[in-house]
Amino acid sequence: MTISESIQNIDFLTAIRESALVYPVLLGTHLACIAVFGGMILMTDLRLLGLSLKSLTITQVVGSLRPWKRVGGVIMITAGLLLGSSEAVKYAPNPYFWTKMTVLSLIGIHALIFRPLVYNNTEELDRSPVIPTKAKVAASLSLVLWLSMACLGRLIAYYEPRQAAPQAFIFIK
Amino acid sequence: MLQNAIADALNNTEWAFPLAECFHIPAFALSIGTITLVDLRLLGVALRGESPAKLLKDTEPWTLVGLIVVVLSGTILYLSQTAIYLANSSFYFKIACLLVAIIYNYTIHRKVAASPDVSPGVAKLVALVSLALWVAVVFGGIFIAFV
Repeated sequence: MTISESIQNIDFLTAIRESALVYPVLLGTHLACIAVFGGMILMTDLRLLGLSLKSLTITQVVGSLRPWKRVGGVIMITAGLLLGSSEAVKYAPNPYFWTKMTVLSLIGIHALIFRPLVYNNTEELDRSPVIPTKAKVAASLSLVLWLSMACLGRLIAYYEPRQAAPQAFIFIK
Repeated sequence: MLQNAIADALNNTEWAFPLAECFHIPAFALSIGTITLVDLRLLGVALRGESPAKLLKDTEPWTLVGLIVVVLSGTILYLSQTAIYLANSSFYFKIACLLVAIIYNYTIHRKVAASPDVSPGVAKLVALVSLALWVAVVFGGIFIAFV
C-alpha cells in the first residue's frame, strides 16, 4: 500500500470522500474563506502599495486585520488539508497540487523574510513620507503568490493522469 | 448564434474555461472581501480607526472592479455550457442569492454603512445579512458541481 493510500484509508478521511455532502461543504468552506479572508490579504497588499484604504495607517490595517486573517487561515488550511488528504491517491501524482504546495512554502518564506521587515515594522513604514520600497516589494510578491495559489487550486481539477497501462505491461513482462 | 460561437470558442480551447475560473476566484475574493471589511466594521470588530462611511468610500471602487470581473468571467463560464447550467438547481439558487446580494449591497447595505447615525443593533444585523448572502452565493457556486 502506498503512503497516499494509507492516508486516504484513515476512517474519517474515507468518510469524507464517500459522503455526498461533506466533501462539497468542505470545498464551499475553503472557497468562502478565500472570499472573506483572501480579500483581506488583497486589501492589505493594496494598502502597502498605497492604492487603497489610505485614510487608515498601515499599522491600523495590518494590526486590525491580522487576527481575522489568522482565523481565516486556520479554517482555510484545515478544510484544504481534509480535502487533499481524503483524495490523497488522486492528489499524489498531480503536478498542480505539488506546485501549489511549493507556492505555499514560498508564502512561508515570504513571511519569514518580510514579517520583521514590513508586517511587524509598520510604525516605521507609517513614519516614512513615502511608502518604502521593501513594503511595496512585500505586497507585490504577496499578490503574485496568492493569485498563483488561487489559480493552481483550480487547475488541480484539470489534471488527467496518463493511463496506467505501460506500467502494467512492464509488470507482466 | 453569438452564444453558440462563444460556446464553441470556449469548448474548443482547452485552457479557456480554467482561465475564466482563474479570473473568477480572485475577483470574488476582491469584491466579497472588500464588502466583508465594511461588514466587520459595522460589527465593530475590525478597522475601527475609520468610520464605516469612509471605509465604504475607500473600498467601493475595488468592490465594483471585483464585481465586474467576477460577473464577466462568470458569464463566460455560463455561456460555455448553458444547457447544463439551466438544468442545475444549485445554479438557480446561486443566481437568486447573487441578485439579492447585489441589490442589497447597493441599497440597504450602502445606506446603513454611509449613514452616521444608525443604531449599533441595526448596523450589526445589516452586516450579518450581507455576510450570509455572499457566503450563500459562494456555496451555491460550489454545489453546481455536486448536484
